[in-house]
Amino acid sequence: MIRTLAAVSVSLVLGATALVAHHSVSVNFDTTKAFDVTGVVKEVKIRNPHSQIVLDVTSADGTVKEWFIEWNDRNAMVRRKVPFERLKVGEKITVNVNPNRTENNVGFFRTATLSDGFVLRDCGFTAFREAVANDKDITC
Amino acid sequence: MLTRTMLVPIVLAMSVSVAAAQGKRADLDGVWILANSATIEGVKLTPAGEAARAKYDHVKDDPDMRCIPTTITRVMHTPSPPLEIRQRPDHIEINYEFMDVHRRVPLKPGLAAKDAPYAVEKWPHLGRSVAHYEGETLVIETVDAGAGVFDTLGMPGLYQSTQMRTVERWTADGNRMRVVITHTDPVYYQQPFTVTFTHQKLPDGEILPWDCVPAEAGYDRFKKPAVK
Repeated sequence: MIRTLAAVSVSLVLGATALVAHHSVSVNFDTTKAFDVTGVVKEVKIRNPHSQIVLDVTSADGTVKEWFIEWNDRNAMVRRKVPFERLKVGEKITVNVNPNRTENNVGFFRTATLSDGFVLRDCGFTAFREAVANDKDITC
Repeated sequence: MLTRTMLVPIVLAMSVSVAAAQGKRADLDGVWILANSATIEGVKLTPAGEAARAKYDHVKDDPDMRCIPTTITRVMHTPSPPLEIRQRPDHIEINYEFMDVHRRVPLKPGLAAKDAPYAVEKWPHLGRSVAHYEGETLVIETVDAGAGVFDTLGMPGLYQSTQMRTVERWTADGNRMRVVITHTDPVYYQQPFTVTFTHQKLPDGEILPWDCVPAEAGYDRFKKPAVK
């Protein structure tokens, strides 16, 4: 019994380490894999707790499929000065994503290459708090 | 009618009472962000706690996916959104950006937590709280929290009963703040356990509206493919 309880306690600590970064990212997306998705921006919703970009992606046979790209919360990206306003509806972009674990048209945003070549990214919370600790402006 | 002679001891007694509630206030006021991941120690589940955790389904059971703050500990686990603390003469004001949780904790000597008002008017399930000082440590006791999911982020799938009692100890040292929360709930836990948060000050920080919308927060946002 004592051994069982000890095992439970250890697994909780390990689980906490694995999941504390953000519940939806690690639980819902495979962060060990990444690939590009190219499409036309249909919708941009920068919001809390999760932002979302909808892409119209045209396949080789001409069919168009919607892709849903999950991104970080609006407030965090405002603080980190992420220029998300550069995303424009109607623009063709390429987004590098971590795939969702269950849905084949959902991914988590890593970077987006815009039509002018600009690479949009979010440095993340760790970079932000390090910049704050060192009294520096964050630049991604 | 009260005479001056009678008023003096009354005023003195009131002053002592307020001083006891206020203590020697720590330099906690300001806006803070997490400096690193929380430390969780001493979690040992009862059989009821193990059974509840085994049934937990993060897709269906996570209150945050419906824009409901699960518990204060869960709110504090969220990495990015800051919190703001202001020590008022008769209460502590804590504003958590995550889920727009605005908490008011009375500083009132003699007031038991069970008799205190709900600390977050909009969310009674976050319990009744009362605060006092021990030296430069702010201490907040909370009882009468709602039964249900306890945490979905640091320790996903843990539950709490209505017997959950938490004691938060807030201390500051310059630009660092430490919050140690001791949780006691004999229904789901064999012993008290602690969660420790370390924060760093966010200069010129402000709390922004969270404005969570349930339809946009839940897993329904992952729509099925729409082929044209």
